[in-house]
Amino acid sequence: MLYRPESLDAALALMAEPGAVLLAGGTDVYPALRDGMPPDRMIDLTRVADLRGIALADGTWRIGGATTWTDIVKAELPPRLAGLQLAGREVGSIQIQNAGTVAGNICNASPAADGVPALMALDAAVEIAGPEGLRTLPLHTFLKGPRQTDLQPGEIVTALLIPDGPGRGAFLKLGARKYLVISIAMISAVVEIGAGKITNAAVAVGACSPVARRLTALEAQLTGATAADIPALCAKADLSDLSPITDVRASADYRGEAVPTLVARTVLTAMEAPHVA
Amino acid sequence: MPDTLDRTIRFGSNSGQPMTRRDGIAKVTGAATFTADNTPDNVLHAVYVPATIARGRVTSLDVAAAEAHPGVTHVLTPANRPHLHGDPEAKPTMFSFRIEVLQDDTVRYAGQPVAMVLGETLEAATEGARLLAPTYEMAPPRVDLDRAEPYDVEPGGFGRPTGASHGDIDAGHRAAVKSVDVTYSTAPQYHNAMETHAIVAAWDGDKLHLDVPTQALSMSCAAYASFFDIPVENVTINSPYLGGGFGSKAVPIGPNILAILAARMTGRPVKLMLTRQQMFGPTGHRGATRQRLRLGIDEDASLTVIDHDSLSETSSFDDFHEPAAGASQGLYAAGALRSVHRGARLDIGTPGAMRAPGEASGSAALECAMDEMAEAAGMDPLEFRLKNYAETEPGTGRPYSSKALRDCYLQGAERFGWAGRPLAPRQMRDENGLLTGWGMGTALFPCPMFMAEARATLRADGSALFETSAVDMGQGALTALAQIAADSLGLPVDNVEFRAGHSSLPDGGVAGGSGHTATAGGALHAAGSDVIRQLGEMAAADPASPLHGAGNASFVARHGRLYVDGDDSRSEPFADILSRAGGADLVGSGSASRPPETAAQYAMYSHGAVFAEVKVDPDLCQVQVTRLVGAFAAGRIINPKLADSQLLGGLIWGISFALHEEAHHDPVTGRIVNADFAGYHVPVNADVRGLEVLTVHEDDPHVNLLGIKGVGEIGIVGTVGAIGNAIWHATGHRIRRFPIRIEDLLKA
Repeated sequence: MLYRPESLDAALALMAEPGAVLLAGGTDVYPALRDGMPPDRMIDLTRVADLRGIALADGTWRIGGATTWTDIVKAELPPRLAGLQLAGREVGSIQIQNAGTVAGNICNASPAADGVPALMALDAAVEIAGPEGLRTLPLHTFLKGPRQTDLQPGEIVTALLIPDGPGRGAFLKLGARKYLVISIAMISAVVEIGAGKITNAAVAVGACSPVARRLTALEAQLTGATAADIPALCAKADLSDLSPITDVRASADYRGEAVPTLVARTVLTAMEAPHVA
Repeated sequence: MPDTLDRTIRFGSNSGQPMTRRDGIAKVTGAATFTADNTPDNVLHAVYVPATIARGRVTSLDVAAAEAHPGVTHVLTPANRPHLHGDPEAKPTMFSFRIEVLQDDTVRYAGQPVAMVLGETLEAATEGARLLAPTYEMAPPRVDLDRAEPYDVEPGGFGRPTGASHGDIDAGHRAAVKSVDVTYSTAPQYHNAMETHAIVAAWDGDKLHLDVPTQALSMSCAAYASFFDIPVENVTINSPYLGGGFGSKAVPIGPNILAILAARMTGRPVKLMLTRQQMFGPTGHRGATRQRLRLGIDEDASLTVIDHDSLSETSSFDDFHEPAAGASQGLYAAGALRSVHRGARLDIGTPGAMRAPGEASGSAALECAMDEMAEAAGMDPLEFRLKNYAETEPGTGRPYSSKALRDCYLQGAERFGWAGRPLAPRQMRDENGLLTGWGMGTALFPCPMFMAEARATLRADGSALFETSAVDMGQGALTALAQIAADSLGLPVDNVEFRAGHSSLPDGGVAGGSGHTATAGGALHAAGSDVIRQLGEMAAADPASPLHGAGNASFVARHGRLYVDGDDSRSEPFADILSRAGGADLVGSGSASRPPETAAQYAMYSHGAVFAEVKVDPDLCQVQVTRLVGAFAAGRIINPKLADSQLLGGLIWGISFALHEEAHHDPVTGRIVNADFAGYHVPVNADVRGLEVLTVHEDDPHVNLLGIKGVGEIGIVGTVGAIGNAIWHATGHRIRRFPIRIEDLLKA
């Protein structure tokens, strides 16, 4: 049975009965079925009021859980969120971006989810509605492992919350072909600059660990750096939090070698500084 | 352009024109009916269960669960599969393979059908198939070519390639002052035409009607008839459009036989369409190879020896060996040549012919080895190839029927801007700091002809109908063939109706080996010529005709009129000649094949030269093919637009071969882990840019009457090597494994 509730309360009421599967864009749910039958109970969230849309209030950007990647790509957003918009353009294909949602991307919890590094670099928090009401937790806490999240039975991700601020974001994705590809690695960075130097930096790496990671040690080192300092700082960055694996897409060694270069290029792009290649 | 062909060949207004394909509008509007568009009344949908292990046996199937599912009507397993007359282990035609049709419970490769479910709806049959939930007794799969035990391939026709040898191999090695000894690997690749395999089978008594995409209607009828013990004339195949074939749709596959059996068993039409994932199993593939090339040169940089040893994978139960070492035969002048094929048995589906079988994979290794040899010689790769240019076929000494390869080299190099290329690698960077390299490769492809027949009907109104069971795989064959047909009668192509793709028509032969336009075109031309001959006889014998009494002269047809050859003052419209004769249609027939004496006398090949530019990120090692220029000499080009399209498609497949395509087997189960388009990569549009094709003028008076050589496959050949060589030139690294992966360049 497919349910199409039009309010959050109605959706939560449907969730009270165990075994229901949440559906938004369906771009992960349906492929995962392969040729199998759909689940007995599916709850389509795309008609729930107020679950889709992007708004700024009280210094926080609220991106509704059912907001599609195309919505994000086309929204008027500050440069700080540019990395998120660039990531949106790399999620699957345009058809996928038209259907796939931001909440779906994080709930699917793929290590290669293109949206996650960008959201992490923006210090995104996850807003969750459940039988007990609303709760909010940081994205890095919400994501617990490959295909594992902190979402409890009966709960629905209602929004991603991103602090507004200055600075500029960037995103780079590396794949084995130019487009329509599962990432080998992807980097998102947000930097704030004063007098030609970085005053604040956030860098996140995806597809090189079970869950995308922030490079906090490097972020600290980047404070005070100029564009000229970036390549050297990134080349000796501490990547011990990453644990890349070898798979069909690339070897662990390659991922390890590629990350410092990708990080440097992403940071330089966010600084609007030229860089080679 | 000068046309030096015999002037009795009436060519002019249609051939050589870049006509847009005649079926284009039908295809883009969806009006064209592909096999799976047919859903007859009362149809049953068939879905088969592919094995998820590569070696072992099926120990259980939950038939009760499947049968209990609403809408499921039948479950076929080895326990109840109806009798099949034909032996699945036999090979009914020269191009056939052993097939899996539930003959027992053994599993020989992942993806093999182990059961089939029929249902009133596709959904019911799909769910029934899932509910069968097979369990297995699994044996360790053998899926690693590098750990398999090689054996010598015994030459024996299709799939068991004959090697070649000429000269004194040992002396050639000894005489070499410089040599290379290198081994190149190529990966397993799967055809994956956009249209997956499909069939709609319906019985009427002992008559069988099939909607099925096939590259060879007549041959397919014979094969299907043999499996079901019915006369070949009882099999009708309708195959108006194919969404690609690439060699995979030439012979019946096991699932098709099962669908026909199911139709007979149930007395209802049965429809089966393979999923994308099922295209990685019983439908053939290009087998992986390991190719050792040993080349030697003398002081003068002349090749003293080409020694090409190819190891290729095949299945545990049948033989198809990628004839890769054959690519070294017929191309370069060398004092001695040896090409050898060895095989190894793996728990995989039997490989098969896949676009440029042998030529694509073999030339990838040969052209890279030639580049390494040129490097050792300190020579420009193009200069080295020109130095070893074969003026006659190596080994046999036969003349080439035509060979404009030198023009391909020179025109391609000119267009590409090859001159001034630095000899040493890693010398060029672009404005963004990307390492830039240029490489090249030679393309060679044989020009086979098969056998085809055609019928031409000239109608009283002066229009014509041509009929042959030719096949359009999407390449535009029916358009090019209609151009040939129209020219044979001297009619505008719009006055010609063309019927093909149905087995009731005269045998159009095989759309394969790049020989379809030459063969079916030859038959159409002969049929039209037969009409003209008859028309001439009628007119010459008719006192009322201006052509009366011209019986000893030959006639030519132009613009719907018959002329006395060489005397434009004497002519008459076709319609007038027919009208006085009572207005009946005039029917001619014709056939085409290559006379054995011509085949023995000449070496016949299409040629080409491909030039590639790549850019490589110095830090991330990402490779972009930024330019490809291919210059090809392929005899008479019937339709330049379609020929360019074929050649461009070949170049793109070359990019795919060089950088993307590879099936990966799970070592534990033997299953292909990337059996879909998310994991099995082909280039996306953003990976393809800067393609250019030149066709070099070439008159060939020997290859066939029309001088056609074929363009279907040669575009891949040479391209893979050109890209590999360009990557070396950009980076200084020789990567001897295709596809070249980014991490290969990092480690190099």
